[in-house]
This record gives sequence, C-alpha cells and structure tokens, in this order.
Amino acid sequence: MCSLWVALVFCCLGQLCADRSLKPQIAVPQLATNNPTLTTVALEKPFCMFDNSLYPNKSYVIYLYAMKESASAINSLVTDDSSKPLESTFQQTSGGQLGPYKAALFNVPSCASPPKLADVGDVNKVADVLKQYLFRVGDDGTCLYDPNFLSLCNPPLAPNTTYRFKYVLVDSTEGIMKDQSLWSDPIKTRRVKLPLQIDTWPGRRSGGMIVITSILSVLVFLLLAGFLASVFSAVMGPEDSSAETRHMSQTLQQSEPKPQLSSE
Amino acid sequence: MAKSDGGIHILQGLLVFGNVVIGMCGIALTAECIFFVSDPSGLYPLLEATENDDIYAAAWIGIFVGFALFALSVLGIIGVIKSNRTLLLVYIILMLITYAFEMASCITAATHRDFLTPNLFMKQMLEMYMKSETDNNNDKWMTEGVTKTWDKLMLRNQCCGVRGPSDWQEYTSAFRATHSDSDFPWPHNCCVMDARGSPINLDGCKLGVPGYYNSNGCYDAISGPMNTHAWGVAWFGFAILCWTFCVLLGTMFYWSKIEY
Repeated sequence: MCSLWVALVFCCLGQLCADRSLKPQIAVPQLATNNPTLTTVALEKPFCMFDNSLYPNKSYVIYLYAMKESASAINSLVTDDSSKPLESTFQQTSGGQLGPYKAALFNVPSCASPPKLADVGDVNKVADVLKQYLFRVGDDGTCLYDPNFLSLCNPPLAPNTTYRFKYVLVDSTEGIMKDQSLWSDPIKTRRVKLPLQIDTWPGRRSGGMIVITSILSVLVFLLLAGFLASVFSAVMGPEDSSAETRHMSQTLQQSEPKPQLSSE
Repeated sequence: MAKSDGGIHILQGLLVFGNVVIGMCGIALTAECIFFVSDPSGLYPLLEATENDDIYAAAWIGIFVGFALFALSVLGIIGVIKSNRTLLLVYIILMLITYAFEMASCITAATHRDFLTPNLFMKQMLEMYMKSETDNNNDKWMTEGVTKTWDKLMLRNQCCGVRGPSDWQEYTSAFRATHSDSDFPWPHNCCVMDARGSPINLDGCKLGVPGYYNSNGCYDAISGPMNTHAWGVAWFGFAILCWTFCVLLGTMFYWSKIEY
C-alpha cells in the first residue's frame, strides 16, 4: 500500500510540474478508479497549463467548458467576437448538443505547490486534496430542477456519450479570455447493460451431486433387492420345514402303535 | 452348533453396534439441520427471493429423519437382542421408508446447491435491491428481505456487489432508478464507514479512491455459508446412508435366519 502511494506521488508530481500538453486530462486512474462513470467525468485541474499567460498583479479565473463531440461540427467556439467567454448553460445548449456550455468556474490551481496525492491516504486531508486536484463534471444532480438555483449548474452528463472539455483562462476584472487549452481527447461515459441479459443457468452439474445421486440410487436398489430376497427366503423356508414336520409327525404316529401291539 | 451360535452372537453384536452408531448419527443430523435451519448467517431472504430455497427444505427433512433414525435404532437394538421377528420386520420396513426420505434430502441439497451461482445473486441484487415500486405484498416482502440482507452483508463483510462495485456501474438496476449515478455510483454501504455508520469521505467513495470504498465482492461471504449448509446436509446424510445400508443388509440377513 505504501509503495503504491510513493509511486503515485512521483508519477503525479512529475507530471504536474513538467510542461503539460495543452489539453484537459482525465484524473489519474490510480486515484479515481471509478472514472468516467455513467454520468460523470473527473478531470484533472489545469496545473501549470497557463503559467506563461499569468501576469503577477492581475487576478484570473478558470472556466471549464463541456460539449458533446457531435457538437464540434455545429459550433465549438467558447468566446464571442470580442474575446468574451460565452455564458452558455446546460439547458441552453441541450446538454452540450448544440455547442459548449460552461460547467465550472474555479481559481487557477497553484503550479508551484500542487497537492500531494499521497495525502489521500490521510482521512483529514483527503477532502482538500481531492478538491484541489480534480473537478467532477456532472456532480450536481439537483440544480437542473431547482428553480432557486442561481449559480453555475453542473448537471449529470448523458450515458454512453462522448464529450470534450476545454479550459479557458479569463481575466476576472476585464472579463476577457486570455488563454485557452485545446479541446480534450474524446472521453466517453459508460454504457449500461440490462440485468435481464444476465444468464443464470448453472451450467454443468457438480461432481458431488452426480456421485451422491448415483451411489444412493444403487444402494437403494440393493436394499430393496435384499429385502425381497430375505422375505422370499422367509416365505420359502417355513414351507419346507412345515412339510418336514408334517412328514415327521406322520412317521411318529405310525411308529407309536407298534410297541403297544408288541407289549400285548 | 456352538460355532453357528458364536457366529450368530457376533452378528448380533455387530448389529447392536451398528444401531448405536445410527442412533448417535441421527441425533447429530438433527442437531446439524436445526443449526442450518436457524440461518445463523442471515442469508435466507436471498434464497427465498430466488424462489429456490430447497436446501432449506432438505435441512427440514434432515431434522425429522435424524430423529426417526434415533428412534428406529433403539427399536432395532431391542429387536436384535430379543431376536423377535416381528419387531425386526417393523424395524426394516420403517428404516427403508426413512432411508428413502434421507436420500431425497441428500439429493435435493446437492442438486439445488448447483443453482446458486454468482450470476443468480447478481441478477437478484440488481432487480430487487431498493426496488421502490412493488407489484404485490409478496414482492414487497421479498424486496425488503433482499434489501435488508444486502445492507447487512455489505456492512458486516466490508464488500460491495457480488463480484465487486463495478456490478453497479456495468448494469442498470432498480437502485439506479431511484438513486442517480452522480450521487450514488454505488450504494453508500459500499463506502468505508466510520464508527457512527457514515462514510468517512463521500467524495472519495464516489470517485473510487482506494481506501474509501470496499473494492471486493460479497460472493465469498454468500457462498461460504451456503456451501457449508448444502454440503453439510448432503455429505453427512450420504455417510449415514452408507453405514445404514450395511446395517440394514445385516439385519435382513439376521431376520431371515432366526426362527419363529
């Protein structure tokens, strides 16, 4: 377990600090094993992605845009003509079908001090580490149906659909896009099967069952045969002996009168 | 005559010994089957919902057969010692009937164990766990039984699903109909719990971070007790029947040799 965390730390710190390809990446599978799920995708935050565009005295914020891959043919622009980022929502774009929608807004993640992924093992630190390291698209299941919800809605994605994501660096005072990443590689959400398709036929009989059934059947047959044989011999036996006793009593009766005659 | 007398006495001694063993095994069978019927691992609702709970029927038969074996062995001992033909004939006939019942119990237990596969439990779990709309009272009873049993099973054995938590992600289910995937990729009982019974970190559990969810499947926890139950009834019954076969054959031979 320890060695896994050490490997995770080296692997991920190295990736975070080195120059990244300019695409949003899915969160490392060793950390988030259940990713992507049916309706969510957990993305790594853009560490060290926009460092060249950051000026020291300005404040920046990162927008995350999501769209279905099929929408790239219709419209994949995230800004309007004056470089202002689009304020499209999930509902306006039909869940990303007509174009990108804004899914999230967060501060620029720190490149100099990224979260230590090995701290995930510590129960007290795991919440912070997860919040700083990744963002889960599709996390909020209720905002779509809540009329009082006013901030940015991040509703669940559609199953079995390919999505693409993009990070945009925005200057928070001017509200203008300063830099943007490329569109990510296509990421597909899971597909589900119906439980009706599960085959519950047990297949072959087990060996034990065959042994028990066959041997017991043979034993019962032998018992019944033995019982019939003993009943048969019991019925036959007394008939022979009763014939003998009758024969013996007759000879006894015949032999008895002779001594009487001789005595007289 | 002295030799055949000695032979008869030896046969009598062997039959008495055989009947003593049958009596003891009968009591042991009754005790074992009462133990299984009492369902110490709490898995009966799962079998009841599959409508294939015949290993329990085999155990019920085993209870009564065990007691019958004990009573008949006493009768047999008395019959052999007194060399009474009538008693022994009654003994043989009743023993044959008991033999048939025990044979039914063994074969039932062994055969129906074969039906309890992982796929059967997975399908049942997906279709019944936390099912919200039940058709009738029977369906409601079985659904509640399955839900309670699975909740207890997941908490007690720290496991999730039949083969693993991926069962909940690969298949749609009755649970999925009422619990959205973004909030509940799998039931919260699959998460590692703290002392108060709530997940130690819900986000970690939902994302599948190792150490915050139970990654192993519950099938071992289910099949272990069921195997013990089925094989205990089937093989112990089989052993008793093999011994009883010899004793019965000897008794029939002895019965045919004694005179009225």
